[in-house]
Amino acid sequence: MREMIIGELTQAVHDLARGFAHYLPRLIVMLILVLAGWLIAYIAKVILRSILRLIRFDRLSENAGASQLLNKAALPSATEMLSRFVFWVTWLGFILLGVSVLGILGLQDQIARFFFFLPRLFIAVLILFLGLLAASFFSRAALLAAVNANVPSPRVLSMAVRSIIIVFVLSIFFEELGLAEQTMLVAFGIAFGALMLGLAIAFGIGGRELAQRFLEDKFVRDKKQQDEDELSPL
Amino acid sequence: MEDESFLTDDFFRQLINVGEVDILVGLPTHNNAKTIGTIVHNVRSGILGAFPRERAVIINADGGSRDGTPELVTGISIDDVRPASGVYALRTLHAISTKYGSAPQSGVALRTILAAAELLRAKACIVVSPESETIAPEWISNLLRPVYRDGFDLVSPTYRRHKFDGLLMTNLLYPMVRALYGVRIRESYMSEFGFSGRLGSQFLHANGWKDGTAASGAELCFTLAAITGECRICQCFLGEKDHVERRAADLVPALRQTVGVLFSALDSDFSKWSKIVGSHEVPTIGSEQEIVLDPLRVNRKRLHQMFATGVAELESVFQAILSPATVAELHRIAVLGEDEFRYPAELWVRTVYEFAAAYQKSVINRDHIIQALAPLFRGRVFTFIVENRNASANDVANNIEGLCLEFERLKPYLLEMWKSRE
Amino acid sequence: MQPDKNALWYKDAIIYQVHVRTFHDSNGDGIGDFQGLEQKLDYLQELGITAIWLMPFFPSPLRDDGYDIADYNSVHPSYGTLEDFRKVLASAHKRGIRVIIEMVLNHTSDQHPWFHEARSSQGNPRRDWYVWSDTDTRYKDARIIFLDSEKSNWAWDPVSKSFYWHRFFSHQPDLNYDNPAVREHMWNVMKFWLDMGVDAFRLDAVPYLVEREGTNCENLPETHTILKELRRKLDENFSERMLLAEANQWPADLRPYFAEGDEFHMAFHFPLMPRMFMGLKLEDRKPITEILQQTPEIPPSCQWSLFLRNHDELTLEMVTDMERDYMYDMYAESKIMRLNLGIRRRLAPLLKNDRRRIELMNGMLMSFPGTPIIYYGDEIGMGDDITLGDRNGVRTPMQWTGGWNAGFSNAEKERLYAPLIHDPVYGYPAVNVVSQSESEHSLLHWMQRIIAVRKSTKVFGRGTIEFLYPANHRILAYLRKLDRETILVVNNLSGTAQAVELDLRRYKGNILIEMFGDNLFPRVGDLPYLLTLGPYQFYWFRLRRV
Repeated sequence: MREMIIGELTQAVHDLARGFAHYLPRLIVMLILVLAGWLIAYIAKVILRSILRLIRFDRLSENAGASQLLNKAALPSATEMLSRFVFWVTWLGFILLGVSVLGILGLQDQIARFFFFLPRLFIAVLILFLGLLAASFFSRAALLAAVNANVPSPRVLSMAVRSIIIVFVLSIFFEELGLAEQTMLVAFGIAFGALMLGLAIAFGIGGRELAQRFLEDKFVRDKKQQDEDELSPL
Repeated sequence: MEDESFLTDDFFRQLINVGEVDILVGLPTHNNAKTIGTIVHNVRSGILGAFPRERAVIINADGGSRDGTPELVTGISIDDVRPASGVYALRTLHAISTKYGSAPQSGVALRTILAAAELLRAKACIVVSPESETIAPEWISNLLRPVYRDGFDLVSPTYRRHKFDGLLMTNLLYPMVRALYGVRIRESYMSEFGFSGRLGSQFLHANGWKDGTAASGAELCFTLAAITGECRICQCFLGEKDHVERRAADLVPALRQTVGVLFSALDSDFSKWSKIVGSHEVPTIGSEQEIVLDPLRVNRKRLHQMFATGVAELESVFQAILSPATVAELHRIAVLGEDEFRYPAELWVRTVYEFAAAYQKSVINRDHIIQALAPLFRGRVFTFIVENRNASANDVANNIEGLCLEFERLKPYLLEMWKSRE
Repeated sequence: MQPDKNALWYKDAIIYQVHVRTFHDSNGDGIGDFQGLEQKLDYLQELGITAIWLMPFFPSPLRDDGYDIADYNSVHPSYGTLEDFRKVLASAHKRGIRVIIEMVLNHTSDQHPWFHEARSSQGNPRRDWYVWSDTDTRYKDARIIFLDSEKSNWAWDPVSKSFYWHRFFSHQPDLNYDNPAVREHMWNVMKFWLDMGVDAFRLDAVPYLVEREGTNCENLPETHTILKELRRKLDENFSERMLLAEANQWPADLRPYFAEGDEFHMAFHFPLMPRMFMGLKLEDRKPITEILQQTPEIPPSCQWSLFLRNHDELTLEMVTDMERDYMYDMYAESKIMRLNLGIRRRLAPLLKNDRRRIELMNGMLMSFPGTPIIYYGDEIGMGDDITLGDRNGVRTPMQWTGGWNAGFSNAEKERLYAPLIHDPVYGYPAVNVVSQSESEHSLLHWMQRIIAVRKSTKVFGRGTIEFLYPANHRILAYLRKLDRETILVVNNLSGTAQAVELDLRRYKGNILIEMFGDNLFPRVGDLPYLLTLGPYQFYWFRLRRV
């Protein structure tokens, strides 16, 4: 009995040792992969960051108003964001590669799917990023145009522009990720429809006077008065 | 001469026929048939009267007119094929025209004129606005003579204006150019001006043409180039400035081609303007500026309302552009009623300088920055009108001078913001 | 060789204007004479000219360079005898050279016997040969021509105690053409010379023959009647003779002097000449084309006579004030160069001795419609002496050699009628016939060449002119046409190289033959004909269909 136990134990230890001996190289390979991955990811990050700085990517995103958006969300600059993103994706890739070396069944498939998914994720994030930029830019453009044209309620207009763009971008984002495509389409339809309806009602009821004034401004206002309004700036 | 490749073959052929000239008059046009007839007639009289012996040419750079403007210009030629009736000219006077596009672009027009001036080795050139019906023959000689006879490189105009005319000029461009560049040029954004062939060539070959700024506000760039190039500048009084150009709601485009151009020029000229302290007069022929005091009805209510709306609605934008103190101050005055509301000079200068710094740092899209200035400018206009409602010409001049000094006094503030950009 | 038998000889002529006094002195008295002129006829024949115009050589007190005649039927003793003149006439004709002499109809010298008689008493039979008045207020609308020296057109005669009329100097009383005896006598004077063989008269100061109250006393119909009468007599009695009018007038006012081909054969085109100089300075053809556009058609038998310079000042009467100021500033920067309303300088100094400009001006002179006149000395580029008074600066002795007195005379220097030019640029050691004859590139040789080319065709003298108006205003281009012959002339008035496109589509298929070298130029096609011309260059092309 004792021998048996000892035998089994020995066997187990042997198995473990054998198993360990069997896995150890893979583990080491994995660790090496993870470490090397970190290193490569880090280098990639540094290189990307310097390239982005060189091409003044921040200026670009500033111009588009993205920086402000990031600032608001207490996020680092666009350059930092993008290089961190690349770092993590790269390293994660290497980690997963390392894990797959371990040969754990089932994980292999998931990892393969991850790598298959990676480009789409990347594109989707990019779309989201650019989309948010566009939303911010166009909403501000609408706001300024409305203020300078003396159109009533510029902020409502600006918000509407922003919302439409964001909803639109989100729907593309999810579609790109392949998540609940049908649902998102329907959701987008509903959200967009609701927005339009809301605006229509708002203008129809709440903004009746406003609309009236708007139309008057546009078409009825006395020409003479308009002449008096503006002095030649130059 | 790669720069001249943008000139058409036909135009180039015409230039060959014109040959070397002493005097060149440039006319940028676009559908100006109504006014251009009188203008070219006066231009021709001006040339024949003051420079009968000099070789002269009138060059029309047309932005695709459909109303026969170019024909009206070329019809003023004097040659032996169509002897001019009623005018006596010693020599041939060519008036030629070229079309540079299908839309008016003052920068492209100016560039065409400058290229022609260089090819024809013109000694003295002027550019004349196709809309100023008040142009008299003397304007031509007044603008040309300082260049041709006295060796000036740039003749900037001064006009007889209503005290509330050209407020962007008096409340921003003149004081700011004066404070930053140290030269007291009244009309830095010129619709009529004279220049030497040397300055023309220098500006033609400056690398400003590819990015859009020089294409839209080239006249201002031209003034700045003359200042930074240490050219000999003078001002010349011309006369009444009329209001054909006065079109309502043109404030934003006007800001773009003046303030926008000035702000972007500050970047490249930093090494020059940062060292300048104070300002000096330029030689002026005739009076510096004549102010007309006729009563003028202005819709002040609307100006005030647009300012208040702007401050309220554009809060997020202003937070990006302006310092918190300035934003707070703007909010404070925005809620004041029409009677108490004033946009003080110091605050206005700070605002403008902060805008300039924000523009330089591109905190948001640069065009948005310029657009955001419009409602604030309206507030300043309101204040200027109120403050000068009953003022005499002298008072108005003093008030403008006071604003200029404020711009000069606060220049270190701008420099400080500029240096903290990184 | 005899002058060609041709009633229209003057249309093909090339005239050389010379004063006997200035040309060559054969007897060593310091004054040129007819024998001297005769000796130099070979030179003129070699030059290629076909006529000489001799300035007044009649007995005269010489207070107006011989235009103050004291005897119409004789020769001033300084220049020789009437016999000497006859010899010159014969020698010239032998060489194919016609002779044009001066005839001053308007006035005589106050030393003329007629005037002595006329002033001697109010009742003298010749009293009425001149124009007298008790006051100096008649004909007050007549302008004063010699502004620099005369205050009035009336002068007081202390002898007969009345005023006499003079359009020019006060020592030149005007003859009274209302008097038939005067008219008859003047025709007899002309007949005297025509009988001798003289080919033509240059009639001096013709607009002023008759005076009428209330007019400017110029170009009056009565004057034309008198001139027509002279012409009729000339045609009745002689053949192949010619009358050349000296009337400094606008072309439109000159036109009546041609009448219907029954008054003058030729007249000077005064307004053209200053405009040629002006066009050259402006580098602009406009003044030239404009004056030629304004030049009226003249009857087929008539001809303009053209010149660059002559014995008078470069007259600026026929230009506007603005043009005159310009001409003064450009061509007579120093006040001393100006005289009356003109510039008293020779061709070469006016053009700053620029050979290219001298050639271009001569090229235009020879290719414009008309008969060219060359002023003596201009064929070698002689200079002037502005220190001499009046117009004497352009009347200095001809420079034949670099030797003693420029080969003009054997006299001592002090005895010369006028000092020689001796400045380093134009002085006779530098500018003279002998040295230019020996130099292939000389102006003299060039002048011989252009005269020969001009004479190679009748187109220049008789053809029509049609301007091409290339867009380049520095280029003066025109077509000269006669019958089936067409010549294209292209002048570059500017001091820089020029490109020009000529519209020659009408002549598509023609080739161009450059007339000085007989070289071929490309055929005319559908495209504008592109030519390039060097500074002040000009081309004469014969158009020929091959």
